[in-house]
Amino acid sequence: MKTMKWLIKREMWEHKGMLVWAPAVIAALIAVMALVAATFDKNISINGDGSPSQILSVTLEGKVRTQVVETMAQAYMASSAPVLLVLGVLVFFYCLGALHDERRDRSLLFWKSLPVSDSMTVLSKVLLAAVVAPLITLGIGFVLSLLILFIGAFLLLMHGTNVFGELLLTPDLYLTPLRMLGLIPLYVMWALPTVGWLLMVSSMARSKVFLWAVGTPLVTALLLLWAEKAMHIGINSTWFVSNIVSRLLLSVVPGAWLLFDEAHIAMEHVPHRLPVPQTIFGESWATLGNANVWIGVAAGAAMIAVAIWMRRRREEG
Amino acid sequence: MSAIITASNLRKKYGKQAALDGVTFTVEAGRIVGLIGPNGSGKTTTLKALLGLTQFDGELSVLGMDPRTQRDALMNEVCFIADVAILPKWLKVKDAIDFVEGVHPRFDRSKAEKYLAITKLDPRMKVKAMSKGMVVQLHLALVMAIDAKLLVLDEPTLGLDILYRKQFYQNLLEDYFDENKTIVITTHQIEEVEHILTDLMFIQDGKISLAATMDEVGERFTEVMVEPPFIAAANALQPMTQRTVFGKSIMLFDGVSREQLANFGELRTPSVADLFVATMKGTYA
Repeated sequence: MKTMKWLIKREMWEHKGMLVWAPAVIAALIAVMALVAATFDKNISINGDGSPSQILSVTLEGKVRTQVVETMAQAYMASSAPVLLVLGVLVFFYCLGALHDERRDRSLLFWKSLPVSDSMTVLSKVLLAAVVAPLITLGIGFVLSLLILFIGAFLLLMHGTNVFGELLLTPDLYLTPLRMLGLIPLYVMWALPTVGWLLMVSSMARSKVFLWAVGTPLVTALLLLWAEKAMHIGINSTWFVSNIVSRLLLSVVPGAWLLFDEAHIAMEHVPHRLPVPQTIFGESWATLGNANVWIGVAAGAAMIAVAIWMRRRREEG
Repeated sequence: MSAIITASNLRKKYGKQAALDGVTFTVEAGRIVGLIGPNGSGKTTTLKALLGLTQFDGELSVLGMDPRTQRDALMNEVCFIADVAILPKWLKVKDAIDFVEGVHPRFDRSKAEKYLAITKLDPRMKVKAMSKGMVVQLHLALVMAIDAKLLVLDEPTLGLDILYRKQFYQNLLEDYFDENKTIVITTHQIEEVEHILTDLMFIQDGKISLAATMDEVGERFTEVMVEPPFIAAANALQPMTQRTVFGKSIMLFDGVSREQLANFGELRTPSVADLFVATMKGTYA
């Protein structure tokens, strides 16, 4: 356990810029844009042809007010969507370099001079990609979302409606981030094929890791497509692309499981429905009923095992 | 004394090229062994075999363990500097110390800090910003603070200036080495390690061509500045090499008694470098 803690720290030292600063900067940019938009909006309302801002004041009361507050509390984490998308990209490139960079700069020999097993090292990288990185991003996303929520609530206040009190008393405000936290185990399972594939390529390729990682499945898909069309062999290349290629390359995108699983989330307005985040949460966990995820987990674990074996046995010149 | 390393008939091929062609040797505890050989002779492959970094055929026991199958356990007792400047660029001095302290049960933080205090290294400095010599100082500080039974050094001072090189070996000898430790070094800078070695091993074409203690080397090999009248007689004793310096023939003999040679002229103990050149004659021919 102690060794694992230090291995994770080690990864953080190396990739702080990528894992913390990149999402933080993006979040900051979004926050600034939101602030600018809010200020702009305020200026119009006050200075626009000199009319007093009271004209634009909105008073929300009763049922509408409750609904607005509820929507805000449920949907505010949506502001973090860009940051979460970036997470997919970060995890992708992190895994791609994880076992290749140390070979390229020969620091592998230093790490190997310490009593840390290869499986421990590779697992620390899996853990970082699938758990630590999402936690960091989620944390940043939460702060960003909260900020934007308050900017929104402040705007409402400027227009005469104070929802702060009710907002803070809405359970969904606190439940939504917790639900997202609760999706991390799901993310681990769904992301495993891509994490495994990228780590495996990273441990094998001598150079041009990206080309190997992306090129191999794409070229295979093209060959299959060609075989299907030109030679009329009964291969279903579409199936290959959607079940193999996309799972190998795109599973690290948060929420990708909803696409892979073709889950049907009732987004349309239904009276007395469960809150949308609750539905997403439920539907997400329901994807575990599908064989797709478990085959992916098995394939991911197998590829991680190959990566460990490669790190152990591979010789460096 | 017990053997720390026992290697018998190690074999390894890269394609058709044999890198190890029946390497056999033992290393006793408390020795400083120089493994010397020309480029491509199998030095590095031998060291890699010791450290479990390569697969090979043959029997090898390092501290009673097989590096091929018990590498993880072995690394608790063995430490190595594989090459200079292999510390990752992003590593900070303080992080390096924290990390090694965190993962190595035999690391003594105070030792590393004591050693670093006499260098110009700052705890917040990154490897990226260090000169080659400073990287080696950091690496040495980490390694010296580890109480390992066996330390393997592969060209540890390659590319360093003479100040760093001298200091490196001095620190190694004064602050690190004791009778419970064993060091195996490979290097091309033979002159600089010569005086610290207790044992010498020459490797040539994947075979050990000489393995002896430095005392044995001194007894076995003699260099004679042969006076002109005795050249024919000296040649009859089959010197390993003969070279001419300022008109005098200098011959190197293996296993010829000193009394006999003293008749021909002035005797000297050959340097390891001269011995190396004589032994490796024809390697690149």
